[in-house]
Amino acid sequence: MRRNSGYPGHGSKLHLYMMALMIAGTALLSGCAKNHKVKSDFPDMVVEPVDLRVVLVMNNDFRTYTAKPNKKDRIQLGEAQTEALTKAFKGLFSDVNVVYSWQRGGPDADLVITPAVREVQLSSPSDSYQTVFEVWIKYSLDISTADGVPIDSWFLPAYGKTPYSYLFSRSKAIEEATIMALRDTGAKLMLDFFRIPAINGWMQQHFAANEQP
Amino acid sequence: MKHTAIILLMTATALAGCGSTTTVDDYRPTAEPMDIGTGDKVAVLGRRDAGHYETDRDFINCLGNQLSKSNFQVMMEESFVDALYPWFEPRTAPKHLNRLKKIMEIPTVQEKIRSEKISYLVWLDGEVESHDMSGAMHCGLGPYAIGCFGYTSWDKVVTFEAIVWNLQDLTEEARIRVDSEGTSYVIGIVAPIPLLTRVESEACVGLGNQLLSYFTQEVE
Repeated sequence: MRRNSGYPGHGSKLHLYMMALMIAGTALLSGCAKNHKVKSDFPDMVVEPVDLRVVLVMNNDFRTYTAKPNKKDRIQLGEAQTEALTKAFKGLFSDVNVVYSWQRGGPDADLVITPAVREVQLSSPSDSYQTVFEVWIKYSLDISTADGVPIDSWFLPAYGKTPYSYLFSRSKAIEEATIMALRDTGAKLMLDFFRIPAINGWMQQHFAANEQP
Repeated sequence: MKHTAIILLMTATALAGCGSTTTVDDYRPTAEPMDIGTGDKVAVLGRRDAGHYETDRDFINCLGNQLSKSNFQVMMEESFVDALYPWFEPRTAPKHLNRLKKIMEIPTVQEKIRSEKISYLVWLDGEVESHDMSGAMHCGLGPYAIGCFGYTSWDKVVTFEAIVWNLQDLTEEARIRVDSEGTSYVIGIVAPIPLLTRVESEACVGLGNQLLSYFTQEVE
């Protein structure tokens, strides 16, 4: 007769409790989403700024934004995207005033730009069967005059990936891919912002009007 | 005694097979050496625009370290890309000289290249591929023993191309292609014994030495 203690059935009950605890722990851990903090350190842009006064509106939601691309991962983007877009627009324009809300923009601005995150997507090697992590960030930029006249709402997609995933932890790889995507935001803005037909047209009108005596 | 002889024979065979073959081909439009002033820099960059691979960062670092053995300074990829952000990101990096010439027309870019004293840019493009895996290795864990038995091997092929751009004259100075291939083995005799071919480092040394032979330091 096998018994682990002086009480009949005590050992098997203990085993059951332990197993239940382990199953509950595993379920809890697998259900918990992991936060990935993205560092905010981006270089200045080496470009010729256009002589315009711009108000960049980044509200508290944008500055503290956390992306939820799936059930497992939370990417804390807010601080990094604020820094990346601030540096990008400070490279594009000679005078950039970064504010929390439209009302604080002041009347002297030429353009008011309000970025918002539309979507963040993440692909990991287990999803794509590739050896890299990939991040897509989709922004929309609402661009208007200081009087509130809308000029355009521009879709700004950005993409970043890790060179390979072997030497990275999941968290580090997601951070790396997100940083690459945020750097790509600056590159995309530099290439395409002034080519947006509505912006291009508005700028031509603006500079022509300012040249007139 | 008999077992020791067999093990030694296997190891010797495997080691003999671990050797690699490296071929370096180069093309230069001129035989003139490339002049580089004191304090001038050579930047080493990997191509990042291909969808299915990226130029191996370890190989880029290896080539950078190889070139650092000279008298001139080497600017590593991260520093160069940050210094000229966003002109050398995957989306914006120039693939041809014509595009580089356009970028170099921008005064702020010109000024940055001048202030950083970057004279040459070495573009690296290529990858490391493993294929033809054969053999079998089994590892086991039992109450009284643990170990691996068997044999496995695979071929490794390294192909890289380096293109050197002169950032002062905006010309292409050289193209070098390096191919290196070898076979790696893992022999399982209780413990797995890896006998790995050093194709990457041989390709890196071959490419580095070829590049170094082009440069002459100007004495001021």
